[in-house]
Amino acid sequence: MTRPLIQIDDEVREMTDDEYAALLEQGWTPGEEPTDD
Amino acid sequence: MTFPVFASGDVLNASDMNAVGLWLVKTQTVGTGVSSVTVNNAFSADYDNYKIIWSGGQSSAAAEIYMQLTTGGTASTASYYGALAWVSLTTAAVSGASDNNAARWSWAGAGAGANDGAASLNVDLLGPYLAKRTRLHNAQVVYATVYGTYTGLHDLGNSYDGFKLTPYSGTISGGTIRVYGYRN
Repeated sequence: MTRPLIQIDDEVREMTDDEYAALLEQGWTPGEEPTDD
Repeated sequence: MTFPVFASGDVLNASDMNAVGLWLVKTQTVGTGVSSVTVNNAFSADYDNYKIIWSGGQSSAAAEIYMQLTTGGTASTASYYGALAWVSLTTAAVSGASDNNAARWSWAGAGAGANDGAASLNVDLLGPYLAKRTRLHNAQVVYATVYGTYTGLHDLGNSYDGFKLTPYSGTISGGTIRVYGYRN
């Protein structure tokens, strides 16, 4: 499974396991498709 | 002295330049499909107070944008307080929500969908680099059909040099984060 991308200044990379765990811990979800603006 | 209107060829006197109230101190382009953005080295001893604007971006989901203060890229994850008041465009109903010793400021900004410019953030931070309580003022939350304002406090007397933005769900893409320092 591909983990989400994280950006630190100009660097964009896949999250580490620990970073992904911390993201999930704060309630983050992959989200829904855009609905409107 | 020609301040505040300068003409071509004018000498930029120290008194004129020292009267400039707002300085662009950091610009950060947001990548594509990222679940968080950390901006380092945004705050320093040069300024007490800052304005942060993210414009031109979008979000994959309609979701609020969290903000956390960071030191050396590590986010502070406690002692965030804040109050949100928002109004439904369709019903005009007024609602509220709050952060009470939360792990972040929960409504620093918002994303309303995938159109360019549909996600944004515009806040003032008072004293993030000072070893004092940081205050967040004038945050605007613009969802698709709900708009609101948010005010917050970080109740720790620590110094921070950056910040982290994280959408509540999904990812954010594009646009530019600009950090301005208010001249002391």
